[in-house]
Amino acid sequence: MSILDRIADGWRKYRKPGYYDEFDYHWGMTVDLDRCTGCEACVTACQSENNLPIVGEKAFAEGREVKWIRIERYWEGEFPDVKLRFIPMLCQHCDSAPCETVCPVSATYHNQDGLNTQVYNRCIGTRSCAVYCPYEVRYFNFYDHHWDSPLDQQLNPDVTVREKGVMEKCTFCIQRIRQAKDVAKDDGRRRVRDGEVQPACVQTCPTQALVFGDRKDPESQVSKLMNNPRTYRVLDELNTDSSVVYLKKVEDDHA
Amino acid sequence: MNVSIVPALKALIPAALVVAVVLLGLVVGFWANAAFYPGTSPEQPIAFSHKIHAGENEIPCMYCHTQARRSISAGVPSVSKCMGCHNEVATQRPQIRKLKNYWENKEPIPWIKVHDLPDFVHFTHKRHIAAGIECQTCHGPVETMDQIRLTDAAPMEMGLCLNCHKQKEVANGLDCWTCHK
Repeated sequence: MSILDRIADGWRKYRKPGYYDEFDYHWGMTVDLDRCTGCEACVTACQSENNLPIVGEKAFAEGREVKWIRIERYWEGEFPDVKLRFIPMLCQHCDSAPCETVCPVSATYHNQDGLNTQVYNRCIGTRSCAVYCPYEVRYFNFYDHHWDSPLDQQLNPDVTVREKGVMEKCTFCIQRIRQAKDVAKDDGRRRVRDGEVQPACVQTCPTQALVFGDRKDPESQVSKLMNNPRTYRVLDELNTDSSVVYLKKVEDDHA
Repeated sequence: MNVSIVPALKALIPAALVVAVVLLGLVVGFWANAAFYPGTSPEQPIAFSHKIHAGENEIPCMYCHTQARRSISAGVPSVSKCMGCHNEVATQRPQIRKLKNYWENKEPIPWIKVHDLPDFVHFTHKRHIAAGIECQTCHGPVETMDQIRLTDAAPMEMGLCLNCHKQKEVANGLDCWTCHK
């Protein structure tokens, strides 16, 4: 076996979906569309928690806004018989993610907690991941953003302020997960309890449409919701095996 | 026919000289930059000596850096912490008079941070002290330093973190998101 074969072999092994035999945690989220009112509180919460820039009018018109979670709007039917549907769209943390296979520098990869990671200081900004992401939830920093005083005082010290030229996306609030693990260790527990860690969007949702938790724990709220017959995954036909599961809206068409 | 490449090359001699000078300048400049790199050992507002405090008087690190075992950052002691002793000890020395000035003006001392990690690195002192890591593992032999500086043995680089995590077989210690944020 030549050295080239060995390198190629290692590469293939790393790129294989389901690289881990077993996840340590398996973080997941359910989004109950029956509860979602489209209020965008999650969008605001994410913005302030994760130091997302407010890009301004010009950049927004160019489609260069940064929103790790956004509410997509779909109109159905003709006026006056119309229905409005909302879908909160965030990084799906796919277990076989298309974005991970294309990064030339492995700045994005899957970690043992079932999270799709993005390492900012390793990213060189090829933007291939954004091209491959079927959910369009990866955002590129086209500009160096700044926060006018006193707004810079509200920046979260646990999250990096990303600079121009790197890709960024939802992290499931890794800083909060890290904090919860830290607290668990201090208490002498090996695992984080269910409900102990919530991303900013989940914490803020007024109707509790978003639920976050460990899918490996069969007793967690998120695991129970995933057995609901209403569940579906967005673009499931692409076999991305995503960690975010949506619960279909219940409708009575004959009312 | 007598064709030679030498006349053609002769015209390039000035250019070659310039290139040689530039290369030499780069090498010398790089060395000079490494030797006098600002930030590795800056002039502090008060010439505080860790050698006297931690070395000769054997004051434990966490007597002053009280937050190290409780929080992410080790913390720089407040002026009142210094004055707790220096109300009585060595009050007439010039450096202590400087300290007393800060105390009387109710100003914090503008210390310059030497052991500074980049913004995208998450490091918590609490976890590492709970795991029994010595301060000197990352900060170098601070108790022998008159002026605090980065040492070659503990350069505060990613390799230092990774080697230690590998050696001690830290759970998920080699995952990027353990330290990067």
